[in-house]
Amino acid sequence: MSVFARPQAERETALLAELTELTAHHRERCEPYDRILSSLGTPTSFDSMADLPWLPVRMFKTHDLKSIPDDEVFKVLTSSGTTGAGASRIYLDKEAAAVQPRQLGATLREVLGGKRLPMLMVDTVGIIKNRRSFSARGAGVLGMANFGRNHVYALDENDRPDVDAVKGFLEKYGSEPFLVFGFTFMVWQYLYEVAREHSLDLSNGILIHSGGWKKLVDIAVDNAEFRRRFAADTGLTRIYNYYGMIEQIGTVFLEGPSGNSLYCPEFADVIIRDPDTWQEQPVGRPGVIEVISTLPRSYPGHVLLTEDLGVVHGIDDGDWPGKRFSVLGRLPRAEARGCSDTFSGAVA
Amino acid sequence: MSVRRRFPAGPDVSVDELVAGLSAEAVAAPLRVGDERVVDFLVAFARKLLAPATARRFPELASLGFFLRRGEIAKVLAAPEKAGVLRFPRGLVFHVPPANVDTIFVYSWALSALAGNRNVVRISPRSAGAASAVVDALNEALASADPVVAQTQVMVTYDRDDAVTAALSAACDLRVIWGGDRAVTEVRRMPLAPHARDVTFPDRASFAAISVAGWEAASVRERREAAVGFYNDSYWFDQAACASPRALFWVGDAAGAEQGREEFLALLGEVLADKGHVVEPAMAVQKRVSAYGVAADGHARSIRFDGNAVATLELTSAGDVPREWLGAGTFPLATLPSLDALVPMVRRKDQTLSVFGFGQGELERLAHDLAGRGIDRVVPFGSALTFSELWDGYDLLSEFTRLVTVRA
Repeated sequence: MSVFARPQAERETALLAELTELTAHHRERCEPYDRILSSLGTPTSFDSMADLPWLPVRMFKTHDLKSIPDDEVFKVLTSSGTTGAGASRIYLDKEAAAVQPRQLGATLREVLGGKRLPMLMVDTVGIIKNRRSFSARGAGVLGMANFGRNHVYALDENDRPDVDAVKGFLEKYGSEPFLVFGFTFMVWQYLYEVAREHSLDLSNGILIHSGGWKKLVDIAVDNAEFRRRFAADTGLTRIYNYYGMIEQIGTVFLEGPSGNSLYCPEFADVIIRDPDTWQEQPVGRPGVIEVISTLPRSYPGHVLLTEDLGVVHGIDDGDWPGKRFSVLGRLPRAEARGCSDTFSGAVA
Repeated sequence: MSVRRRFPAGPDVSVDELVAGLSAEAVAAPLRVGDERVVDFLVAFARKLLAPATARRFPELASLGFFLRRGEIAKVLAAPEKAGVLRFPRGLVFHVPPANVDTIFVYSWALSALAGNRNVVRISPRSAGAASAVVDALNEALASADPVVAQTQVMVTYDRDDAVTAALSAACDLRVIWGGDRAVTEVRRMPLAPHARDVTFPDRASFAAISVAGWEAASVRERREAAVGFYNDSYWFDQAACASPRALFWVGDAAGAEQGREEFLALLGEVLADKGHVVEPAMAVQKRVSAYGVAADGHARSIRFDGNAVATLELTSAGDVPREWLGAGTFPLATLPSLDALVPMVRRKDQTLSVFGFGQGELERLAHDLAGRGIDRVVPFGSALTFSELWDGYDLLSEFTRLVTVRA
């Protein structure tokens, strides 16, 4: 059963009821969350998705927010923050830990089919071997590995492209569908460049990638160019970017087959907000991305204001029903011109 | 171990050369307290800061320019002296200013130069904008200055280098450390000569207070001026300067305070609109994170956003007042029955109380009740960021000089 089947109106009706219940669920179980909503005078029923109270995603870096008792904590996920503000801490109980890979699987099934495919990981084999430096990237690679079999890594332990390994993989599995996974800039740098140089045929591949365009924008490669060059130079056309974050683990917004738009699985949605008024932006007007998902039950992360900018391109008018949108980049950091603790060791 | 010479502009020098050049023996006609050669140089420098193009681009440099006019300098130097007590420079002063308030180092250095000291100032490599404009103006003013200025006053930039900081620390007679607790702790690891000492400026927190009775008695114009002053105190350095108010207390009758608050917020909104104040989205998000955080911790009963520019939080209890930075334009509020109620809350860390509508007598009573435990300055709205030679409980000119007593 597809998670990309419901049109927007039907989806919103179902989601609004579930999320209203979920908001009450978290208010009852997470005291700091309830205090925030009480201080804002948040009501208990809502007329629309846009009325649901959002938390800035960075709250999970500054506060421990969980809706489960301590003795039911099964797993604590941490993200290394790029802003230096510390790491997010996401608390999962057994049930939440089981739900998130299941829903991720249901989402990816749309493009991968039901079978596990041979899998080419565009990363270093060290990323999962070396548990010491177990990073968000490592967690991503490990989480995704479940959706494939016969894994081969495109980089050796010293982070050098392992062309023989990739060639070997293609000789063995390249004549039938196979899965490729990696972070966007690594896929470009270590798969596209290598495949072009060695004339590798990736036409049976299905590429899933994520991680942002910042490094590629610097060399003038955007999503459209990425897809065009992969198709022209390697034959790879089934390319799916996705957008997701550890604070809504298990929920990914997946690019549709024709490219350049991300779609919401039916247990999730996005709202783009005007950064001046915080009202919902109309289609076509960029703003700050709010991500909504019914998955977070063990922590109040069901309605989050990200620090990413995005735009909704259309509703119910693309490859799949619902909203389709793009991520445009990150909000610049807020920096104050204060006189305290400005050195951070730079002097001595 | 070489450093970049910003003033007087010149080639990189090794720290040993730098220290040798600044030794007392290297100067033929040593500076005195209030030396005319320094005064003339500072006045010429101030004129450059007050040039319309510079003052428009960096309003904070205009304030600095005013501080260094001849008349203002004369006031600073006019401290009455006792018979038989003579005042002399301390010697070599090493200034370590903060990275991102671009003008602090100039105040610190200028007062020390007026005191007749030889000075070496470390300008952070991260400083930019106004700091560069200052260095340019200093170098321009040097053209007409007595050579003793270039000989005795040096500003350098160097990256994180313990060896340089250590060498300058060992060589100086007084070290001035700005930039907060961490900077003070780090720099203090470098030993000083036995006779030398530190003047430190650690992290501080500041508050504002409005008298309900004073507000009620004030004219419409005075109320509006209060809002403008509060705007300057709070928004000029994104509310992150040590002296910017981190919270606003209304002192007096609760019902009157309710009404006053609404009027004040409306006036502040008008000032923000007049000034064309723009809030970056990242700052708006930062304010939400901070304000929600105070609520999550149980310290705020309600949060209100008047646009992105003003966030106000009703504190659960005035004693829980947050001292950390909550983003530009975030004001925890509480009503206190009287100024006495402030006394038990105040800590050593607290620096400035900006006030509106109180009388000199009640404020001095407050100071007596605090007895120096905290709050080093009480100033009217609009003056929180106005630098003075009396700062953080120090009389800086005294700190920068030493006394010799003579009795026949």
